[in-house]
Amino acid sequence: MKCDEAARLLPLYLYGELDFDEEERLELHLDGCEPCRMEVDRQRRLNDLLDAAAVRMNDGMLTSARLESRARLKREPRLDRDWWTRVGEMFSVRFARLPVLAQSLGAIALMAIGFLGARMAPPGLFPRSGSGSMADVLDPVASRVRYVEPGDAGRVQIVIEETRRRTLTGRVEDEPIRQLLMTATKDPADAGVRVQSVELLKSQCGSADIRNVLLYALQHDPNAGVRLKALDGLKQFASDPETRQVLTRVLLADNNPGVRTEVVDLLVQHREDEMVGVLQELLSRENNGYIRQRCQRALHDMNASAETY
Amino acid sequence: MDESALIRAAQRGDERAFEELVRQYDQSVLRMALNLLRSPEDANDIYQETFLRVYRNLHKFRYDCSFHTWLYRIVTNLCLDVLRKRKVRKEEASTIATGDGELDRMDSVPEARAHGDPQRELFSRQLNGRIRDVLSGLTPRERVVFEMRHYEGMRLKAIGEVLGTTEEAAKNCLFRATQKMRAALGDFT
Repeated sequence: MKCDEAARLLPLYLYGELDFDEEERLELHLDGCEPCRMEVDRQRRLNDLLDAAAVRMNDGMLTSARLESRARLKREPRLDRDWWTRVGEMFSVRFARLPVLAQSLGAIALMAIGFLGARMAPPGLFPRSGSGSMADVLDPVASRVRYVEPGDAGRVQIVIEETRRRTLTGRVEDEPIRQLLMTATKDPADAGVRVQSVELLKSQCGSADIRNVLLYALQHDPNAGVRLKALDGLKQFASDPETRQVLTRVLLADNNPGVRTEVVDLLVQHREDEMVGVLQELLSRENNGYIRQRCQRALHDMNASAETY
Repeated sequence: MDESALIRAAQRGDERAFEELVRQYDQSVLRMALNLLRSPEDANDIYQETFLRVYRNLHKFRYDCSFHTWLYRIVTNLCLDVLRKRKVRKEEASTIATGDGELDRMDSVPEARAHGDPQRELFSRQLNGRIRDVLSGLTPRERVVFEMRHYEGMRLKAIGEVLGTTEEAAKNCLFRATQKMRAALGDFT
C-alpha cells in the first residue's frame, strides 16, 4: 500500500468503517511508515477537538421542547388512525346512509361472512381468548411480573403487579389534587411532569407545605427547567429568611448560569449586610459576565469591596 | 413494553405509548438538529415538526425499516431543507449581526460553568469559530453524514439507509467532510 491510498483510508479506519482486509493492509503499512503513523495521531487529535466542540444541550431546552410539542399535539386529531379504525369509520359512514332494511340485510351478510371465515381460517390464525390468555392479562393495564415459581407437572405460578390508569380532575386547591401534584414534583422519571406540577403549584405558594416543595425542587431537582419554575413561584418570598437561605445556597452551588442569574437578581433586590460575604465569594469563582456584573453593582450599592482581603 | 409493542399501541391511539416512544429518541433528535443547525430556535422548530410528522404519519409506518431509520429520515430531510435554504440565501443562521459585531447564536445556550482559564477560553473560542466556518463550508449532505457518523455514532450503512443512498456514497461523503476538516483545522492539532 502507498501513502496516498493510506491517507484515503485513515478517516474510515479511525471510525472503524474499514472491512477486515482493508484494515489489515493499512495496519501493515502503518507499521512501516512513520509519517502515516503521525498522520493517524493528528487525525485522532482532530477528532478529540471536534468532540470537545460538540454542542452541549441543556435540560431546559429539551423540557421546553417537550412541553411545546405536547401542547401542539393536543390540538391534533386523535392518533387512532390505524387501518382497522379507518375501515371501521368507512363502514359506519356507508351503513348510516342505507335504509333500515338494507342495514339489517348487511348485518346478516356480515355475520355469515364471519361465520364462514372462522370455519375456513387455518387453525391458530385467530388467538383463542379464554381465561388466562396473555391478551386478557396484559391488555387493560400495565403489568409487571413480580414473582415466578415453578409448580408440579410443568405448571408455573406467576405473580403480576398491575398498574391501572385513572384520571382525576379537580381544582389545584382540592386536597387530593394538591397531594398528588406535590408527589409528582418528585417523580424521578419525568421532568415534564415535574415542570407542569411545579407550574400548577406555584400559585398556591402561600401555604408552607407547598413552599417547602418548591424549595426542595429548587435545591435538588436535576432539571434546570424545573428549578427555574420553582424559583418563579418563590419570587414573592424573596424577603423570607428561610427562602433567602436556600437561595444563597443555590446561588453558590447551582451549575446552571440561567438559574444563578435569576437567583442573584432576586437576592440583590433586598439589601442585606449578610449578602456581602456571599457576593464576594461568588465573585471569586463566577465566570458568567452578567452575574459578575450584577454582584459588583450590588456590592457597590452596599458600599462594599468587590474582593475579600 | 418493547419498541414494536409501543409502536403498535401508539398506532392504536395510545397517547401514552406515543409519548414513551418519543422519549426514547427525542433527546438525540434535538441534539442532532442543534449540532447541525447550531441555532436553538431552528433546532426547536425541527423538533416540533419532526414529532408532528411522526404523530400524523405513524399509522403509515409498516416496519419496512426500523423506527429509528424512519424517524431519522424525517429529521435529516427537515435539516437538509434548512441547510439547503441557508446555502441558497448564502447566509449562515448560526450567527446573528449585533451592534458589537457577529455573535454566535449558540452563545445564548447556557453551558456548564467555564473552566476559568482565559488562555484556554480564547483557544476554545477560536477553535469553535473555525469549526463553525468549516461546517458551514460543507455541503448539506456532507454535513449530515459527518454529524451522524461523528456525533451520533451511526454506522455508515445505517446512514446510507436514512439518506436513501448506498454505504459507499455515505463513505465518500464522510471522506470529503473529514478532508475539509483536516485542511481547515490542521494548525490546531
